[in-house]
Amino acid sequence: MTDSVVSVEKLKAFVHSQYYDEEKWALNSKLLRAVGLFAGSIFLMRNYGDLMAI
Amino acid sequence: MATALNVPPATTTTTLPQMKKEEEKVDYLNLPCPIPYEEIHREALMSLKPELFEGMRFDFTKGLNQKFSLSHSVFMGPMEIPSQSSETIKIPTAHYEFGANFIDPKLMLFGRILTDGRLNARVKGDLTENLSLKANAQLTNEPHMSHGMVSFDYKGKDYRTQFQLGNGALFGANYIQSVTPHLSFGGEVFWAGQHRKSGIGYAARYNTDKMVATGQVASTGLVALSYVQKVSEKVSLASDLMYNYMSKDVTASFGYDYILRQCRLRGKIDSNGCVAAFLEERLNMGLNFILSSELDHRKKDYKFGFGLTVGE
Repeated sequence: MTDSVVSVEKLKAFVHSQYYDEEKWALNSKLLRAVGLFAGSIFLMRNYGDLMAI
Repeated sequence: MATALNVPPATTTTTLPQMKKEEEKVDYLNLPCPIPYEEIHREALMSLKPELFEGMRFDFTKGLNQKFSLSHSVFMGPMEIPSQSSETIKIPTAHYEFGANFIDPKLMLFGRILTDGRLNARVKGDLTENLSLKANAQLTNEPHMSHGMVSFDYKGKDYRTQFQLGNGALFGANYIQSVTPHLSFGGEVFWAGQHRKSGIGYAARYNTDKMVATGQVASTGLVALSYVQKVSEKVSLASDLMYNYMSKDVTASFGYDYILRQCRLRGKIDSNGCVAAFLEERLNMGLNFILSSELDHRKKDYKFGFGLTVGE
């Protein structure tokens, strides 16, 4: 129980450092947008790609 | 009638397990030869990176005989100069390029010279059945801006290896091996003596009839992933992600490639807010019309180009 509380604290600290720091968030938002576009496009291609066929 | 209906299912149930067994048994001593290491992202590059340009382009290729041809190329338009600030600096230029090509099954020679004094030369030759030589050189008037590179490629049964030598004490080697009929792994090392830099990289490629997925990591900080889905004979969809953890730069793009009888249309959208399209339309035998556009909404930089290509 205490172990999981400690790791949740560390996770919160990590998320705080990545989200509230301006410089890091500038990079992280670009990274999230790019990875989201890449993963989303792969998902769409695999499942709905046949709709684009001629 | 009942017996006639029963007979066909019996034969299919006995052949299906046999087929599955054949598919499962992979002959690891007879794997296909992988594609060269530098072409690992080939499908994604062909679909997502057309030669976009801004301005007017005219290319004329005249074949003098079966193996030898000359080419004349005129370009007028702004050229981008790399600048430190976020503003793009464009300088209007115009140049004429004269080229000569010799194409033989065993030897290919390409030469191009521009009016601003730049010379490009490429040689590709087969020394033996499995060993080939490639060389290229770019020579300019400016001092220290010319470079050349020679590479030796060896094609084995289920592997390929390449050794490169360039000016400025540049040495490189790469190796790629087929691991299963669909999967291949490769690695590369390079050493640049002039800049005192060295690097190592790894790549993997998985391909089936319908899709190709590749991944590449290098110690220079580059992570490149790509995925191409072949929707039909005429249509492919591609997506790629490039991340450089040294320069903290990340770009993802998603594009389509329609190869039709009279035209080829490629378009893509970027995670940096850049939309591009490239159309090659075949007006007549040997006459192609080209339209290129690139709209960078973030930098408010809009580029449009048109051109004509005459000759095969």
